[in-house]
Amino acid sequence: MTIKCGDKLPNVYLHENTPDSKVNISELAAGKKVIIVGVPGAFTPCCSKDYVPDFISDCGKYKSKGVDEILCISVNDPYVMAAWGKDLNAGEKVRMLADGNGAFTKALGLEKDFADTLGTSSSRCKRFSMYAEDGVVKKLFVEPDGHSVTCSKSENLLSQL
Amino acid sequence: MPVKSGDKLPSVDLYENSPASKVNIAELTAGKKVIIFGVPGAFTPGCSKTHLPGYVSDFDKFKSKGVDEIVCVSVNDPFVMAAWGKEHSADGKVRMLADTNGAFTKAMDLEKDLTGPLGSIRCQRFSMLVEDGVVKTANVEPDGTGLTCSLSNSLLSQL
Repeated sequence: MTIKCGDKLPNVYLHENTPDSKVNISELAAGKKVIIVGVPGAFTPCCSKDYVPDFISDCGKYKSKGVDEILCISVNDPYVMAAWGKDLNAGEKVRMLADGNGAFTKALGLEKDFADTLGTSSSRCKRFSMYAEDGVVKKLFVEPDGHSVTCSKSENLLSQL
Repeated sequence: MPVKSGDKLPSVDLYENSPASKVNIAELTAGKKVIIFGVPGAFTPGCSKTHLPGYVSDFDKFKSKGVDEIVCVSVNDPFVMAAWGKEHSADGKVRMLADTNGAFTKAMDLEKDLTGPLGSIRCQRFSMLVEDGVVKTANVEPDGTGLTCSLSNSLLSQL
């Protein structure tokens, strides 16, 4: 089953900075307005050059629309995610959450096989962006091919809020 | 059986900088003296604070002992490996090769289940000296992750 508007976010743990620091996505999203952005891979060209940076630079605009937090998730370990966030100067603007074993991606039904390029140790996440209120998905944009940068771009999501 | 002295390196492709850039480890080591060290994960504390920096800073010492290349391997994708190498100024000193699918790690029987902390099977920490594709010295950390026998200064003293 693939996540869609109206669905509740799955009750899954992600990790932030280290393997010891767990973040439950449902608890995090409860009572709040959150943006969640999913990418195929930390440090990949597409994700790094413009995609995530746009969400970082649009942070102020999201906040002015009442968004409480912006989260970026990827099937990478927490050390890689933290390093990537530092490289992108995500700072306090976007929280980099690691879906190390792909559990969250699988629960969303947004897995994609990037075996040729990013390895088969686990499926990666299709590129998507979503807006959730009190843990319920209100807006969702999943890239049709799973990796291009079109409908899930920050400026598009912003325009829908 | 884990790789040991006397073994020929398996003919496996690793990736450098991008998925399009393949490097066959057997071809790379043919006719050369190569140091290969493996780590559990790019950007992890032990690998980042001690293991990789040691080899980067000892580059000239290895060269003066006739080593042609130093290679770092980890079960990470090539974009992550390239970024990690850049963070540690490895360019020109240590080649960061991605064992993207863990094929090289598996062929050497050096897999370690780090699914809990890192989400997948990774490589045990090791170092080795390879001459013309044959392992001359192999140092595998007893617990797979410690920072003892596989460190740069330890391998240097064996050359």
